[in-house]
Amino acid sequence: MPEKNNVIVVDRPVCDECGTCISVCPQNAIALTESLVIDAEKCILCRRCVDICPFGALAENGKKGAR
Amino acid sequence: MPEKNHFDVVVVGAGPAGSMAALHAVRGGCSVALVERKEKVGIPVRCGEAVGLRGFSASLALDDAWILASVKKIRMVSPGGVSVDLINIGENYVLNREIMDRDLADRAVAAGATFFGATPILSVKAEPGNKYRISGPGGDLYGSCVILADGVESRLARDAGWDTALAPDDIESCAFCRVTHESIRDDSIEFHVGRNVTPGGFAWVFPRGSHTANVGLGALGSMCTSGLAKERLKAFIERNYPGATIHTLHCGGVPVGRWLKPLVKNGVMVAGDAARQVNSLSGAGITYALFAGKAAGETVAEAKRAQGMDWAHLHAYERKWAAYCGKQQMRSYALKSMLLKNDNDAFYDSVARSLAKEPPERLTYMRVFFRTFARHPLMLLKTFFLFR
Repeated sequence: MPEKNNVIVVDRPVCDECGTCISVCPQNAIALTESLVIDAEKCILCRRCVDICPFGALAENGKKGAR
Repeated sequence: MPEKNHFDVVVVGAGPAGSMAALHAVRGGCSVALVERKEKVGIPVRCGEAVGLRGFSASLALDDAWILASVKKIRMVSPGGVSVDLINIGENYVLNREIMDRDLADRAVAAGATFFGATPILSVKAEPGNKYRISGPGGDLYGSCVILADGVESRLARDAGWDTALAPDDIESCAFCRVTHESIRDDSIEFHVGRNVTPGGFAWVFPRGSHTANVGLGALGSMCTSGLAKERLKAFIERNYPGATIHTLHCGGVPVGRWLKPLVKNGVMVAGDAARQVNSLSGAGITYALFAGKAAGETVAEAKRAQGMDWAHLHAYERKWAAYCGKQQMRSYALKSMLLKNDNDAFYDSVARSLAKEPPERLTYMRVFFRTFARHPLMLLKTFFLFR
């Protein structure tokens, strides 16, 4: 599998913790515990969560940083 | 967690579905744990809060204390601004879900259910001896069966083997808030459609009394871009209620597809938004959640009396659901799919113009749909069978 360079990041002050993203995620990569957490390992960067977010709190960000 | 952690039933989620399930299971003789992720039930409310009395009363007596407004008229506004008023609508109310949800959870507890607040659940696992272990950071609970009523954001059903991921055509991305404006009428509900309002959905105005309304809109997932619902809501409010104060802005997803199948797997049942039990056309989920919760709770109690907390006894829940609300949901899904095929402004405007010519007292939902599909013989035929 090719190395994933990008990750989906949550803008926490904007996120309303409604969980709409969870309901569309085909990988079950998103969880709502105390706040929204995205499992970068499971994520396939399909961006469904980004597009569905009513508040625009999710974005795909370049470069995961040093690995 | 306290010493007692073994129950006949563990209900995850204390919304309308979960509390009704807990209440009816406990009344039927089961020991019940009702588990809620948040500290306080029902906050924040993620809902339009409107219900029809008929559907509601099928499961629960409507308490006057929950009513914010009584609806006398439904106004539908087309993209070009043509209004169609419906007054033959039965009894409809806008409710205070915050109070209703709290009361329902309180009733379950008063009947004997054990409540666990601020208790997120991360996994549900089958254990030897026909038990389920329900685990979170706070510890473990054990149940002979589990009812998952953990909302649209449910992950547990997926862990239990369901494919719950919603297709982009089966979810509305919604934003809503409360608006106070002198032009808001306390006795009428409004629906607005049109590309300039929102794509593949509608905007709603549900009065809460004192010229305040729950105003929101939904955009179909397949037509959504990041943050669209919030932007469109702000634009809608600026256009229709200039200078209005906006407060309590929230967002949420509303499933508008078919319900999750099956509803029961071994000892696990799913109810409410988690099971996608929502009217696909209107997005209404309260009455379905109440019905599903009650049916699930009663079924569990019957299973316990028959000494069989297993699929053979529990799947009666699915039959009860399919025979009543399930039928309605399938009808709403068929109508939604037909509408989406004609989803353009010119179509809505022409339908609205033709409906506006009729006296409001003669308009019924059925007539609206017949008129809507009047120029589409195949859809007209389908509509006829759906309303038969």
